[in-house]
Amino acid sequence: MAISLAFGALISLICGLDRVAILQIMISRPIVAAPLTALALGEPLIGLQIGVMVEFLWLARLPVGAAVPPDDTQVAIASSVLAIVLGRTLNVSGIELLLLCLLIAIPLGKVGQYFDHYARQYNVRLIKQVDLALDRGSLMGAEFQHLRGLTSFSLASIGTYAIVVLGGLLIVPFLWPLLQQSLSHSSAWIQLALPLVGIAVILGTINVSRAITLFCASFCMSFLLMWLV
Amino acid sequence: MMTISWKTRLYIWFRLLLLQASWNFERLQGIGFFYSLLPGLRKLYKDEKLLDVSRKYVGYFNTHVYLAPMVAGAVLKLEEDQASGTADPALEVDDFKEMVAAPYAAIGDALFWGGLRPLAAGITLFFAIKGILWAPLIFILIYNLVPTWFRTIFFVRGYRQGMASVEFIQKHRLPDWAIHTKETAIVILGGLSAFMVFSHLNQQQLPSWLGLLTLVPMVMLGVVARKGLSTLLLVFITVTSIFFIGLFWADMVYLIAS
Repeated sequence: MAISLAFGALISLICGLDRVAILQIMISRPIVAAPLTALALGEPLIGLQIGVMVEFLWLARLPVGAAVPPDDTQVAIASSVLAIVLGRTLNVSGIELLLLCLLIAIPLGKVGQYFDHYARQYNVRLIKQVDLALDRGSLMGAEFQHLRGLTSFSLASIGTYAIVVLGGLLIVPFLWPLLQQSLSHSSAWIQLALPLVGIAVILGTINVSRAITLFCASFCMSFLLMWLV
Repeated sequence: MMTISWKTRLYIWFRLLLLQASWNFERLQGIGFFYSLLPGLRKLYKDEKLLDVSRKYVGYFNTHVYLAPMVAGAVLKLEEDQASGTADPALEVDDFKEMVAAPYAAIGDALFWGGLRPLAAGITLFFAIKGILWAPLIFILIYNLVPTWFRTIFFVRGYRQGMASVEFIQKHRLPDWAIHTKETAIVILGGLSAFMVFSHLNQQQLPSWLGLLTLVPMVMLGVVARKGLSTLLLVFITVTSIFFIGLFWADMVYLIAS
């Protein structure tokens, strides 16, 4: 279990940095981060299922200006780790446990937004250090302060991951025996509903005139085509 | 005339990948922009002059991360002109930087975050739902094609054209492209939703026509999301409703059977 958690932490760190601090090649998106984590832990399909469910949830929350969107990266990674680790520990397979892990991870992931906010707030201190370095005539010192910013973003990612995973490890084994049976009646529908909620939020917030008309037309056309073929 | 070699420019391009490493609420990308440009500034200025120019760059700066290379390229060109005394006195480098950063940020946010990301995700999910394990690779490929082009070509253009690089952006009509990309994303998401619902109903052996009813709750959720209701709350309401309906349905089936 410890090795799986450590692997998850490493991926959470790399993907967490891609989110804001470096590259932005989108390995931080849930559809990439969750399968990547699950692949490292030997069960890529679980990650793919989680990625599909989380990808759209907060896609409409754009990282515009100083806005800090919820940390869907850590939610996806942590819930993949939880589903795999707890699946092995409890000797359970199937969508129900995966869903429970995800539904616990989603509200816990809200913490990530605060951590991310705090990291950016903490980086304000670097400004003074940069100014001081320039006053001393040390350009290398100023460059170093910039790279120090990576530490706060790394800590924010790892912190969020740790809270979601630890919270999940405490809550899921307690809730699992109580909800296992009940979840089996609705798991397939919840699995369908999560991406659809995300798409509905995008539809509601995307700044395009006639968005709903376009969406409905495309939906009906595709649906009818599949029905006829 | 002082020029910045292609090796230095390449180094600056790589440094731009770390633009947001020290992102903060006061100067946003300011320190990162200074960090990226520093190798070029070192070639153009020395000693106290270099420190003076550096102080100018650690101030507030914010633009879209994929369009920052274009600003950086143009600023390098202007600094080059400034250092060799051939600069246009009508506009300071600082003014140019401030003038273009905000519009570029708005264009980039709409095009990349608002349009390309949902579009790439929508296409990828068709593969992911089918259980194709390399779906994440498809996402990375589809998504990164355009930003990499912007990061590279626009940086080169920015450096080559300096202040005139603004015309390059205008010529490409990026705001129009942002709208087209968003519209395409909506169409893809409509098709994806239909595909997910249709497949699900088939698996559950339920009549397909029921799927058309999905549009009602989706549009309703979209409307309440527009009014500002949080995604977290919408997820909670949806999941709780489905959970209890599932329990109620199971009880009904059990009662009827017994």
